[in-house]
Amino acid sequence: MNQASDNRGRVTLRGIRKSFGSFEALKGVDLDIEAVEFFALLGPSGSGKTTTLRVLAGLETPDEGVMTLDDADVTYAQPGERDVAMVFQNYALYPHMTLEANIGFPLKMDGVPKDQIPGLVREAAAKVKIDHLLHRRPGQLSGGQQQRCALARAIVRQPRLFLLDEPLSNLDAQLRLETRVELKKLQRSLDVTTVYVTHDQEEAMTIADRMAVFLDGNIAQVGTPEEVFNTPRNVDVAAFIGSPPMNILKGHLDGTKVSIGDYAFNLPAAVARSPGEVVVGIRPSHIAIAQEGLPASLYLSENLGESMLLNFDVGDQLVKVRLPEVCRFADNETVRLKFDPGHVHLFDPQSGTRID
Amino acid sequence: MTSRASTKYTRNAIWFVAGGLLLFVWVIPLIWAVIVSLKSESEVLAYPPSIFFEPTLQNYRDALFGGVSILPSLGTSMIVSTATTVLTIVIAVPAAYAFARLNLRGKKWLGFYTLATQMVPPVGLVIPYFLILNKVGWLDSYQGMVTVYLTFSLPFAIWLLVSYMEDIPWEMEEAAFLDKANRFQTLWYVILPQVRGGIAVTVIFIFLNAWNEFLFAVQLGGNTVRPVTVAMYNFVSVEQTLWAKLSAAALVAMVPMIIIGIAAQKQIVKGLTVGAVKGGGRR
Repeated sequence: MNQASDNRGRVTLRGIRKSFGSFEALKGVDLDIEAVEFFALLGPSGSGKTTTLRVLAGLETPDEGVMTLDDADVTYAQPGERDVAMVFQNYALYPHMTLEANIGFPLKMDGVPKDQIPGLVREAAAKVKIDHLLHRRPGQLSGGQQQRCALARAIVRQPRLFLLDEPLSNLDAQLRLETRVELKKLQRSLDVTTVYVTHDQEEAMTIADRMAVFLDGNIAQVGTPEEVFNTPRNVDVAAFIGSPPMNILKGHLDGTKVSIGDYAFNLPAAVARSPGEVVVGIRPSHIAIAQEGLPASLYLSENLGESMLLNFDVGDQLVKVRLPEVCRFADNETVRLKFDPGHVHLFDPQSGTRID
Repeated sequence: MTSRASTKYTRNAIWFVAGGLLLFVWVIPLIWAVIVSLKSESEVLAYPPSIFFEPTLQNYRDALFGGVSILPSLGTSMIVSTATTVLTIVIAVPAAYAFARLNLRGKKWLGFYTLATQMVPPVGLVIPYFLILNKVGWLDSYQGMVTVYLTFSLPFAIWLLVSYMEDIPWEMEEAAFLDKANRFQTLWYVILPQVRGGIAVTVIFIFLNAWNEFLFAVQLGGNTVRPVTVAMYNFVSVEQTLWAKLSAAALVAMVPMIIIGIAAQKQIVKGLTVGAVKGGGRR
């Protein structure tokens, strides 16, 4: 039983490749995760985030590349040799054991003296508030309680690295919000490097210190949630992050002047780029309805309760606009959209990379 | 509401009657054997058969403690069946685990080979087995009989257990590996308790098959190894068949199987009711 210290659980991945048959799941992943960091791996299905987590756990051996854990090469180390703990998406509790035996199992396998196990189990169970259920079996518990049991089993031996594979995806919406907060609290109190896989960007944004956005077997961007949200590195990240994601439009740039069709506006600062085509990105909440602007006709309005999400037809594509208050529009009503120039993102039409 | 309830009632009644009929057909020989075993030999052959008679336990006394007692043979059957079952489980459990989980080279072919041994009709194997056992001097020996029984109990047990083990989610095992368990510990603490039901089923099948086996027992056994299935033939001779004693012996020979069946039933039910992983595992 090692005490958690501030410098445990530093991970680096260098050039990790992994294929399953002809499917290339990871196409050369480089990643640095700092000690005690809450790090999210975010991406759509099949983007490689879970494979990366399994490589970290030692459940998959990469075809190429190197993984280090606290400066030691663990690329080919067995899962049990890495001192990592994992919470599986379906919890993977041992159904024939009581909760006490489930949580105590890693201690038993680790050779912890028998008389110390009950105390440590009780302590871990208390941290996730299931210490009153220890005599029950997993089949007698609700999904939320099973999830807590899986958490307790993972934290009981204070691992170097704590891996979570979509741990909230089997919970209902209400419980997911509560557990999200508790997870973050728990991670802070434990001081353990935590890697969290999710396809839910809201989850990643709220919970993580930093995150990596996975797209198609590659890491598209690494940064704090604010960095990724406010300065997406390319069009793909911009189109993935945000709910709903950024509007992507074709435009033209000349100095500070950006034009989309007949509508033009000036950026607050000049961009170092010769005049030409650009891709314009703008979030739905940074568009207003005004007297002057881009002509658009209403396709569908969605009432979100606290706000309004409007879908407009602009030429041949949909532009989403989020208004802070609920207001009524008639179908096919024509309005003008005004972009907030301070929040416009520009991307290169060929490479898709960000233009600053 | 009422009509739906009455339809349900009618349907239940039909099922009940059909089930009862099936059960009756199945249980008739058993009842007949019980009745015959309680009659005297002369009453058994009386025509027309008597329905009312004075029951006697003399046949059981003769079958168990008489001149041609089946007791030693019951002991032999118990030794052969138990040894076959224990050895089968000890070998088949790790083999089934390997088939279910490990990426072995040629696993598919090995699996087919194991299964193919089941396709040979037993009667075609009697003479080769006789010659082999004769050569190694194992005719009429316990080790010879058990080895022969293993040749057909093992493939069967392996294939039965593989299906049970494949039903356990991979994550369960991966969780155990991350919890620092090695493969053996994973098998022992995580997999085996969950396939308890499957093992119970396998034990019953293997024991039952070994206990009931006649063809190999009569050809490869002898005076040393004479299982109860062979010994019962002491009551059948050219001059006469002692039906009452034969029935008594047959019923006594069934007792261990019934006991094992009842004992294992609890385990089977237990094995089928565990399960915690959503969307997987045996519930």
